Amino acid sequence: MAGKEKLFMDACKKKFKEEPTDLSTKYYCFGGWKQSKSKVEFQKTADEIAKKRGIPMLNEDIGVPLGQRSWMPYQLSHTDIYAETDDLHCVNNCAIQQAWDDIRRTILVGLDSPHQTIERRLGKEVTPETINAYLETVNHTVPGGAVVQEHMAEINPALAADSYVKVYSGDDELIDEIDSRFVIDINKLFPAEQAEQLKSAIGKTLMQAVRVPTIVGRLMDGATVSRHAAMQISMAFISSYKLAAGEAAIADFAYSAKHQSLNMGTMMPARRARGPNEPGGIPFGYMADIAQSDRVYPDDPGRAALEAVALGAAVFDQVYLGGYMSGGVGFTQYATAAYTDNILEDYVYYAIDQIKSKYGGFCKLDPTNMDEIMKLGDDINAYALEMYERYPAVMETHFGGSQRATVAAASTGIAGAMATGVADVGLNCWYLSMLQHKERTGRLGFYGFDLQDQCGSANSFAYRSDEGLPMEVRGPNYPNYAMNVGHLSGYTGIPKAAHVARGDAFTANPFVRIAFADPSLVFDFANVTKEIGRGALREFVPAGERTAVIKG
Amino acid sequence: MAYKRQFYPGSSVPAKNRRRYMDPKVKLKKLRDVAMDDVVRIMGHRNPGEDYKSIHPPIEEGKEPECPIRKLVVPIEGAKHGDRVRYIQFTDSVYFAPISPYQRAWMYLSRYRGVDTGTLSGRQIIEVRERDLEVMAKEMIDNETFDPALTGIRGATVHGHACRLDENGLMFDGWQRYVWDDEKKEVVYVKDQVAIPLDRRISVGKPDTMANLRKKTTIFRADGVDMRDDKEVTMYGLRIHKLRTLGGYQPWKVKGE
Repeated sequence: MAGKEKLFMDACKKKFKEEPTDLSTKYYCFGGWKQSKSKVEFQKTADEIAKKRGIPMLNEDIGVPLGQRSWMPYQLSHTDIYAETDDLHCVNNCAIQQAWDDIRRTILVGLDSPHQTIERRLGKEVTPETINAYLETVNHTVPGGAVVQEHMAEINPALAADSYVKVYSGDDELIDEIDSRFVIDINKLFPAEQAEQLKSAIGKTLMQAVRVPTIVGRLMDGATVSRHAAMQISMAFISSYKLAAGEAAIADFAYSAKHQSLNMGTMMPARRARGPNEPGGIPFGYMADIAQSDRVYPDDPGRAALEAVALGAAVFDQVYLGGYMSGGVGFTQYATAAYTDNILEDYVYYAIDQIKSKYGGFCKLDPTNMDEIMKLGDDINAYALEMYERYPAVMETHFGGSQRATVAAASTGIAGAMATGVADVGLNCWYLSMLQHKERTGRLGFYGFDLQDQCGSANSFAYRSDEGLPMEVRGPNYPNYAMNVGHLSGYTGIPKAAHVARGDAFTANPFVRIAFADPSLVFDFANVTKEIGRGALREFVPAGERTAVIKG
Repeated sequence: MAYKRQFYPGSSVPAKNRRRYMDPKVKLKKLRDVAMDDVVRIMGHRNPGEDYKSIHPPIEEGKEPECPIRKLVVPIEGAKHGDRVRYIQFTDSVYFAPISPYQRAWMYLSRYRGVDTGTLSGRQIIEVRERDLEVMAKEMIDNETFDPALTGIRGATVHGHACRLDENGLMFDGWQRYVWDDEKKEVVYVKDQVAIPLDRRISVGKPDTMANLRKKTTIFRADGVDMRDDKEVTMYGLRIHKLRTLGGYQPWKVKGE
């Protein structure tokens, strides 16, 4: 990439008045926290609240003096949006919340099994007309409408505007017969080659993408999504196929909806104390499939990997590790490094150039040729670390070692995955980066990196179930992965990188992939950083707001 | 054949420095002499002259359980007296600080007994019985692993290791525990490790020149000595990676590697 303008230059110039290569600056002269627009706003708000409630609240003068150095804005990578770090905290950013809401409230429920029950057990006919009638009914029941009992409470539609059910299938003829308002149209939403792969992978199965209201998932938890869906789907079957509410077949509908369905997150062990369908159970390959960049920008595999990283950072690092597992406010700073300021962007596109110029292109490097893989990994990792060393502005932007370790390892891992088309090779390169990073600089991340990253080389190819899994189906709950912020983002990008490099239409699950192509979702999963940026600018409009039931 | 202890591979300046700092037979150069009472003040655990706080009676007075390990291990002074465990934490700048966190851990564990280290990206905490800690802390502040501008003594709010340097070449510290004395051209501590103001200013001396720091550093950098130019160090890291990978996946392939 010699001669090319570094992709992080614009952000560096916006952050600091000095040149990005300058080592020297001034400190302690910027007016402290008052240089931050959001801090000033926070303090004013807190003062008003404290006065009203009679209990002290946020006081920016408590603790370390904030703003002793220039208060950096952050550019959302591959966008023109700049934001303050406060606005990227998941509690302050309703786009990040909606990304997780949209994942959690989704459950995929097959219609083939209920249709067999209706036809074979009850002797009733299932036709495109009956399916359309069912879909109209289920789009009444899932948002919270009643159909069976005559005196029944219902959910206010203004609270559940985001709730609906759509279907999709690889059977074009059947889909042609379904009311288009209820269809996720694979042919229209995906490039032709991807559409063919996906239809071939899912076959003639007719799958429902059920979107439970955001507010339901928030009020209960991820585990309730399958229950809400199962109850309302069963009611829709009773009503649309004129069934007896008490007949045994109804149990089959409920059973299939609850147990033959596809949650986005798997069950976690009891020590995590969560139900299924919570973020710690989402496999990396699923998250990679949820990220949709390669559907809309099929000629930009780098962007696809980077958007998967961004989604993983927001949902896994910020919401799950930062919120569910840790609590507090500390994780934003670590996690956002992976999707701001085009730093990881620069490293990944450099890696792509190297793969094309020195390693024959995507998927041409033999995944069993460890010496060549190490050569590539060492090249990319050295480039990433060199950029920090040659551009003090980049070093200061990622002022925590965990940020730099993540970003260097993510670019190295993505490189290994793209060069070979094998996600586990990418994972192995991640750990190569960590070991060489520690050796080069004499430092890495915080304590936890010593465990996770020092032993990772040894488990990166292990497939035995108590030691390892293919990267596509590992997740945040994999042993050792539940402790370190700044890893789960990169781990999401690595399998994505392998599969986009291969030209695959999906990473782990075609059903998940198609479900999140749906333009009716509130969060646009093809433009993750842009959506988070809109959240930071407070332009994003989330679902599930309660204003409809609050007087005034 | 007696085993000859090895410390670190490589022929480059950072590699040689790593070996020097780790090897307990090498006496580290003493560059300054900060008074012990001032070291105690900067650490802030007790006032100079104050008794050490105890967490258990002296070992000789106590009834130790029957234990073969206790018979083997000679306790350090602080343990003998029942001192509490206290810490000193150093932050090391990426800009050619003499030493960096992992080398600190390796050095401490190689040179001292009874220590507990914790290594992070910018800082390194060392926890020891208090009277032993004070001896050790003074050595570390006085010797060549400490540079007044690029090494910080910080208990909390430690960031700064990766920030650019200020107009006097000092590493950033959000608490400004140390300041530049322009008259004497020295770095002066005005707050202790956890940023409580000191009742007197404590000089830790003059920073070294960048040219000298480049000769003393253990850090590989593209604008200094690039690690990839030290073939042995590079191959050492890659070999560890390769052996771990094979050991976890196809252990039979390790043979001959």
